[in-house]
Amino acid sequence: MRKLVTALAVLALSSAALPGCGGQESDGSLTAVVDLLPEHIDTWTRSDSAVTYDRETIFDYINGAGEVYRSYAFSQVVVVVYSSADDPDITVELFDMGNAADAYGVFSYAKESEESGLGGGYERKGRVLCFWQDRYYVCAASEERTDDSDRVLMEVARAISERMPPASAPPDLVALLPAEGRVAFSERFFHLHQSLNYNYYLARENILNLGPETDAVLARYAPVSTFLLLAQYQSESDAAAAASSFKQGYLPDSGDSQTLETENGKFTSFEQRDRYLVVVLDAESETAANDLLQATLNRLTQPPQ
Amino acid sequence: MATDKSGLSRRDFMKGVGGALVGMAVGLPATATAKTTQAGKSRVVLIRNQDVVLGLRENDADLLRRMLDEAMMSLFGLDSPSACWTHIIKPDDIVGIKTNVWRYLPTPPELEQAFRHGALEAGVADENIAIDDRGVLQNEVFRRSTALINSRPMRTHAWSGVGSLIKNHIMFDNPEDYHSDACADLAKLWDLPIIRGKTRLNVLVMLTPQFHNIGPHHFDEEYTWPYGGLIVATDPVAADAVGLRIIQQKRRLVFGEDRPLQPTAHHIALADTEYGLGNASMEKIELVRLGWQEDSLI
Repeated sequence: MRKLVTALAVLALSSAALPGCGGQESDGSLTAVVDLLPEHIDTWTRSDSAVTYDRETIFDYINGAGEVYRSYAFSQVVVVVYSSADDPDITVELFDMGNAADAYGVFSYAKESEESGLGGGYERKGRVLCFWQDRYYVCAASEERTDDSDRVLMEVARAISERMPPASAPPDLVALLPAEGRVAFSERFFHLHQSLNYNYYLARENILNLGPETDAVLARYAPVSTFLLLAQYQSESDAAAAASSFKQGYLPDSGDSQTLETENGKFTSFEQRDRYLVVVLDAESETAANDLLQATLNRLTQPPQ
Repeated sequence: MATDKSGLSRRDFMKGVGGALVGMAVGLPATATAKTTQAGKSRVVLIRNQDVVLGLRENDADLLRRMLDEAMMSLFGLDSPSACWTHIIKPDDIVGIKTNVWRYLPTPPELEQAFRHGALEAGVADENIAIDDRGVLQNEVFRRSTALINSRPMRTHAWSGVGSLIKNHIMFDNPEDYHSDACADLAKLWDLPIIRGKTRLNVLVMLTPQFHNIGPHHFDEEYTWPYGGLIVATDPVAADAVGLRIIQQKRRLVFGEDRPLQPTAHHIALADTEYGLGNASMEKIELVRLGWQEDSLI
């Protein structure tokens, strides 16, 4: 995916010139990002200091889980605290993910539910509310849970959302997933094989040749835990090379067939089409594997309107 | 299977090639071919008390100290806490107590002090004892250390499956160097000169373990529970393996299904099968249960 490569290149240049990501005059500058966070929201007042972490310093903030953000075009996160006399503090993290697809990607990374009506979608769990909008991923977390936490978090999130560019749709690749049988909220958008392994451990090595320049979406299908992976490469030859690598690395005993029953009694099937590679994993039967594969291929040739 | 191309793939784990333990870690059934490189069994003491947890990050210090004492006596087969400390620490040792400062679930300060007290009891000079986490490489005591005590709470982790005892030594090197494949190779840390052969005691804190994440890095006490336990061992892999099973069982109970960790905590199994650091297989673990037994989940 070129956007990610470009974002990384821009980040490298800007980081070299402006350590700490401060004072940039581009749209991604600290000033521009902080301006998305209102100074006052109802009775809450934003802290004077905003702490910023970039791709190198993100580990200082969230340890190894920073790799999740670094697996996308993440450039910086700005952290502020909203305080009110009568209520627990609210910490807001505003992640600049470089582009809208990657903002969706990190939102989808571990989501268990999704609601509409705020940005491109939001998820509320415990005392945390996260949403994505344009190229931003935003999380608001209350220091303590109170009876009023849900309302307060939503109020803060809405005030921030209103300052942002309009919400965009999820990446096109997500829309190519067949709807029939897809488990709700199971879609994951990513680039790297580590991210694939997070949701479906395939192999230690990168046998699908995934990388920053590839887009991939994984989803789970009912009635059993069948997984569908749809990867988009930069070129048809890249996709063909990935298909060959996958066959050699995962299905070397499949002969001329592109479908095989694996050791768990389930079926894996794959096919390359143009710049795409479709892989069905752990289908209950050969027919089920091929049906899901074909349904996906059909959508590649007749994309949704 | 072309394992040379794929490294270890999911299919290898299904077949039990090169690491059935890892297969268990990724949510696949164990096979009869599971082996570890460890010769003997590892003794692991799980001690629990239903009154020790007073709240999240709040514990009964005296009770916690007594739990540690009792667990150590059982682990080493000795009849007093001081005998245990003098068994593992010599007066001329320089002792680094490696803890974890993650603000939501840190190593309890009262446990840190129990370790310090134990080292003092063994005759170590106060100036030769240090407690640290992120500053270990800059800490003169740790740099000169001859003995380490390793302790942290277990929690789910978005990049390594769980924060484990094995992982707790990551601050002795550049953490980023260990992040590939869900931190699969964390056991390599234990062969660094500053660590190798020095860790005399491992205490996995299971007072209020965290069994689930919110997104990549958020925390909510909703996903902790008052388990009231300590897992004490000399083998960090065995202690982590026991803790991991408890976490996984808690997830089964809460979610009503077998929901594997994301990502899987295969660094624990690989610490056994690839690095020989310790035993991850329950067949190779002698689990001693002390104290509160109800809902032990293992």
